[in-house]
Amino acid sequence: MSHGWTRIHTDILALAIAAPMWAQAPLSQTKPYAPPRMADGHPDLQGTYDLATLTPLERASGAKAVLTKEEAARLEAMAALVRARGDQAISGERQAPPKGGDGSTGPAGGVGGYNTGWLDPGSAYTIVDGQKRSSLIVDPPDGRVPPYTPEARKRLAALAARPTSDAQESNDPGLETAPGAYDDPERRPLGERCLLGFGSTSGPPALPDYFYNNLHQIVQTHDSVMILTEMVHDARVVRMNAAHLPGKIRMWMGDSVGHWEGDSLVVDTTNFTDKTRFRGSTENLHVIERFTRVGPNALLYRFTVEDPATWDRPWTGEFTWPATNSHIYEYACHEANYALGDILRGARLREKEAQQK
Amino acid sequence: MTRAGELIVVACAAVIPLAAHHAFGGEFDPYRPVLLKGKVVRVEWVNPHTWIHVEVVKPDGSKEEWMVEGGSPNSLLRRGVTRDSLPVGTEVVVDGYQARDHTLLRANGRNVTLTDGRKLFLGSSGPGEGPPPDAAPLDKAKTP
Repeated sequence: MSHGWTRIHTDILALAIAAPMWAQAPLSQTKPYAPPRMADGHPDLQGTYDLATLTPLERASGAKAVLTKEEAARLEAMAALVRARGDQAISGERQAPPKGGDGSTGPAGGVGGYNTGWLDPGSAYTIVDGQKRSSLIVDPPDGRVPPYTPEARKRLAALAARPTSDAQESNDPGLETAPGAYDDPERRPLGERCLLGFGSTSGPPALPDYFYNNLHQIVQTHDSVMILTEMVHDARVVRMNAAHLPGKIRMWMGDSVGHWEGDSLVVDTTNFTDKTRFRGSTENLHVIERFTRVGPNALLYRFTVEDPATWDRPWTGEFTWPATNSHIYEYACHEANYALGDILRGARLREKEAQQK
Repeated sequence: MTRAGELIVVACAAVIPLAAHHAFGGEFDPYRPVLLKGKVVRVEWVNPHTWIHVEVVKPDGSKEEWMVEGGSPNSLLRRGVTRDSLPVGTEVVVDGYQARDHTLLRANGRNVTLTDGRKLFLGSSGPGEGPPPDAAPLDKAKTP
């Protein structure tokens, strides 16, 4: 519950519909659809897609895989209400916030964040096969990431000081127990350093961050497919019908090669580094993604991740990528990243104060 | 969840300032609350965070230029906000906390409003969510 309001919100919403599990997540059965095609005969997947969704990665324990229309409508109305409340005017004659902090927890660190107007966390549950889904994960059937292996638990305990690329947010210094977490820029999360987005936005697997900047653009040629992630402007190039690079060549988003299986683009990614560590995985993470155009305005995105050193079995998720008319606004993160400097200055001052005591 | 429970959730979500993507608690000092009233002199519409420069006139008549940290501009664009939505000279009220390095006139934009309390940037078009997959085809769903 330390990962910001959105996660709290989705957890609570998921709990709200928790019920004895009587149905397992059905596998996707794409309806017959004749997609537009490129000159080489393969489906044209190009476009800009908005990954924002209320559907969390993991399902609440015991919840059903599919929401009824009524449940989804009620929960979506609640989310809209939360947003509308956040947008409401406050007093123009207000006072400064309380000395000592405003009580906000987690990354807001007692000083608060910012208004809802800046955010775009999603307004609807993802629809797959005509069903409103309560989690992205469909396998294991309980919609949950499998437990860590004992080896992974041991490894992660030793690595607790190092934030992963998918760390949703950095921690409040008051809660930060890792020694040296503010010692230098390289100890800060990759998102804070403008290197990769948080929440595994770039992936692979590419996931919503439930916060903002949710667009992805696909540009396709016969030989390569480029997937541009709005946040933090990460471009992943998939080499078609190619062999993986030698194992000694490692990349932060891995080495992605693709091929077509029928009308689905299948992307296989290996050769990760140990700098990203998606959900605590090792550099031997293996991700298989399937992109299938399921309608004039939508792709179905399905992903399977495996890393025997981290989970005792592979796990799979899927969600719809709706097309959007919106344009990606260049992220250009470094040029005004005053925050990172301010954070490090703050850390030096705290150290100096501690020495003087 | 009961209706009452839902209302509690909604009420709580409405009053808790939203968390940002970096260590706000590391950047700003909870013991230096500020209330800034002044005119916008410049806006940096950039990532990862927008910075709104506000000129504040102190009681002795001298002026200070504060920088206020906002969110990412991308979402604002999708709500119909452009550079022209916050022109230089706009009177704003900001509550937040100063940077831990007190030599910096920087604060987080915990709440940034017009003088009547309306939150900036809002009241324009709705959020730019993508269409449901069964919606009618978009005119320009594909990139150029």
